[in-house]
Amino acid sequence: MPSRRSFLSASAAGLGVLTMPAWLAGCAHKGAPAVEVSTTPIAPPPLNPFYTWFGVDDGVLSALLGELGKNGATLADVYFQHARNNAITLEDGIVSSASASIDQGVGLRTVIGDQQGFAFTEELTMEAMLGAARTAASIAKGSAVAPPLSFSLHEANSPLYTLAVPWGQIGVDQKLPILSQVEGYAKAMDPAITKVSVNWTDNEERVLVATLDGRVHLDVRPMTRLWVTVTATKGGQTLSNSANLAGRRGIGWYDEPTLRQLAKDAVDRTMVLFDARRPPAGEMPVVLAAGASGILLHEAIGHGLEADFNRTKTSIYTDMVGKPIAADFVTIVDSGVEPQERGAIAFDDEGNPTERTVLVEKGVLKGYLHDQISANAYKVKPSGSGRRQSFRFQPLPRMRCTFMEDGPHSKEEIIASVKNGIVAETFTNGVVQIGAGDFTFYIKNGWLIENGKVTSPIKDVNIIGNGPEALKKVTMAANDSKLDSGGWTCGKDGQGVPVSQGLPTVLVSSMTVGGVNG
Amino acid sequence: MADSELTLLAGDVVERAKRAGAAGVFATVSRRKNVELQRRDGATERLVESTSRSVSVQLYVDGRFSSQSTTDLRPDRLDGFLADAVALTRALQADPARQLTDPALYPKALPALDVLDPALVAGLTFEQQSAWVETMEAEARKSDRVISVTSNVSFDHGRSACATSNGFVGEGASTSIWPSVEVTLRDEGDKRAADGFGFGARYAADLPDPAEIGRKALAMTVARLGSKKAPTQRTTMVVDPQAAASLISRLLAPANAQAFQQGRSFLLGKQGAAIASKKLSIMDDPLLPRGFGTRPFDGEGIASVARPIVEGGVLRNIYVDTYYGRKAGLPVTSGSPSNRVVALGDKDRDRWIKDVKKGILVTSWMGGNADNNSGDFSFGIRGHIIEKGKIGAPIGEMNVTGNLVALFGTLVGVGNDPWRASSIVAPTLVFDGVQFAGA
Repeated sequence: MPSRRSFLSASAAGLGVLTMPAWLAGCAHKGAPAVEVSTTPIAPPPLNPFYTWFGVDDGVLSALLGELGKNGATLADVYFQHARNNAITLEDGIVSSASASIDQGVGLRTVIGDQQGFAFTEELTMEAMLGAARTAASIAKGSAVAPPLSFSLHEANSPLYTLAVPWGQIGVDQKLPILSQVEGYAKAMDPAITKVSVNWTDNEERVLVATLDGRVHLDVRPMTRLWVTVTATKGGQTLSNSANLAGRRGIGWYDEPTLRQLAKDAVDRTMVLFDARRPPAGEMPVVLAAGASGILLHEAIGHGLEADFNRTKTSIYTDMVGKPIAADFVTIVDSGVEPQERGAIAFDDEGNPTERTVLVEKGVLKGYLHDQISANAYKVKPSGSGRRQSFRFQPLPRMRCTFMEDGPHSKEEIIASVKNGIVAETFTNGVVQIGAGDFTFYIKNGWLIENGKVTSPIKDVNIIGNGPEALKKVTMAANDSKLDSGGWTCGKDGQGVPVSQGLPTVLVSSMTVGGVNG
Repeated sequence: MADSELTLLAGDVVERAKRAGAAGVFATVSRRKNVELQRRDGATERLVESTSRSVSVQLYVDGRFSSQSTTDLRPDRLDGFLADAVALTRALQADPARQLTDPALYPKALPALDVLDPALVAGLTFEQQSAWVETMEAEARKSDRVISVTSNVSFDHGRSACATSNGFVGEGASTSIWPSVEVTLRDEGDKRAADGFGFGARYAADLPDPAEIGRKALAMTVARLGSKKAPTQRTTMVVDPQAAASLISRLLAPANAQAFQQGRSFLLGKQGAAIASKKLSIMDDPLLPRGFGTRPFDGEGIASVARPIVEGGVLRNIYVDTYYGRKAGLPVTSGSPSNRVVALGDKDRDRWIKDVKKGILVTSWMGGNADNNSGDFSFGIRGHIIEKGKIGAPIGEMNVTGNLVALFGTLVGVGNDPWRASSIVAPTLVFDGVQFAGA
């Protein structure tokens, strides 16, 4: 059943990715021709390695776009993707499982106004691709649009995330020691630790987008994540927790201090649970710790500003552009250009350049996140926010890296201002209802504030609020904004895309905390 | 059994993997056709049609293990893929617990399943799909508060075949169809009330009338208008059948050998002990006619056998796959749930509500999570106040918090009204003294 419900998840989606079989990059050159990304000026199309890999040339792209546009089209695109995903698991001291997958195919789309016809195929034969194009074109009933006969080539080679050594050249022998290293660090940190498991993924996506207006965009998108789960037994009780790191980064990211910190985060978050309890239930002030608390923005406002929900007037933010919606120290940005972050993207999945989109400036709502359809409807430039999970899906307006800029307060004065409340520190997932504006997020670790002081640890509480109301209740923001490096995946309409988020320390003067009384 | 194309391909992959150096192979070849039509506010919004296929293999090489999948089935790429897969496996560490499924657990003969609708294999025509979405939308628009109505019908036909190097070959196929409607209504101020209704079935003929789905979608959304937070309280919680599956899923999430072996389960050591009130019984039934979890064998080729998971509140069986079964010293059952069917009580939701003086009806969950070690949970909810046996005002922006074992210990009522569009077939559930957080 389709659902527009939108959510953000670290653990659930994370585990989904971890269980996905993946390709071992280090072996690729033996079996399959590796795709080399040129750093020199673009070669003529027949020699382009992307063209060679997918077995296409300008003529094929033109024929496919011709088929997509044969009944008329406002826009049409062909999205080739080759993704290699590798996963490795260390459990009980050994690496006895790895998985690898190759996911390759092409998605073909015809758009007429706001109507979309879409089909995909994993079989890259002309017959299969033309058949899919015919299906997509059946959405339109007008007269043909002539396809481009040649294309302007745009190769991303983006400094945002181009790796010195791509994952395809890293063998499993280079990865295994990293897993053992993290395990060793974690195990040595507390005698109560009984088990440590480490999950590794690295991914490399090659994307070719060809559009009806004659552009071809090429990109190589790397991703990696390292996830550590610690289980400890103390006083007859067994508890576990985890920490993870993710980004569009290469193997060099995993240096000793980084791995030590990751292990320490996982151990600290686990051991503190033995002393943690539930806070009281009900409305109270919530201090959001800097970093991962950007989940607030993602749920409370980010989804509501995706232009599709506003174009259809189903978002609570539909009529709020130009209006003050938060205190004047609140500036919220959604950016595709944060280097090496999970949400970084050189151009979006419709071939539009990405940007730094200011959503709220000094408390005033500035605008939406647009894909090409909504940009056409609003007659604005697309914000480069048209993203898709894979070639199996049509693009939608999506967030990239969502964060709040520094505010005027300090963390200390924020804590001191709260008589009784909580600090929210680590999170597992969140969700929002676009129309009503209600959102939730789940706190795994946090702290009680009693009389202006951080006292005892808390755990496992859901927070619920309403987007526009919660933004009005952001009464303080500190000067310590930072991005979280966790592996967040955002879900919408059945599609997951990697995102990042960030926040300074922020006080929301009241939200409903799912605690326990008495 | 006819040697279909998929079965032949699975067998071919096993042979290719053996030639590449694998000692043990479990190959799966899948194909799935999916068709979807979505209509929004009077016009087709999205039309999707695609056929997907993939090959996945689990390899056992020199006592080492890996799993691999690809959608690139060109023969030269497939051989290269398998050669690389074997090389990767050799680079890992040996683990004696990594073994192919015991052949004694494979089915002697494949059971006949009732999950493949010839009408859906043939497929609905565009005109039939259009009639569905138009009728559903027309009914759902019958309110002057309508901002937007999206109606959707999708159906699929999937088939997969497995072959192993130790003598198993099996194939299965199924269909399903999912009509749904989402409605957004003008509410107070800038707020919109949004909700909807959808249903799913293995057979098109088992679906309710499309007009009925549209009417229910509108009625459920109208019921959300003016939703408010209720006060923080401890009270009776009635969980609607459509929301009950999620709670059952949370309770049984750590009922598996991996969680037990890794020490991450609040059910560890509880086999044979009470984990819920006597009212709760759950069968895992892989042969349930027309069920969404119905299967001829599981992901390891293990024959489909019905087993009690919970009986009168007592945990009887957990899910045990070959690997973690060997590691934990537990007898293998099946590593994954099929249909989990909750034993029914004797009255429906509204008759249970009649007996509730004061309480909260939960119609859907909103976010939240649970800890598999402790069973501690906290979920957002939407629903209604219950007063003097009647459903009252809509509520939202509230949380419910507790511990799963403690919560199921307070299960006082089970309905006779299961929601069937899910592999967890659960009815109304009634709990006493549950902590809600609100205003």
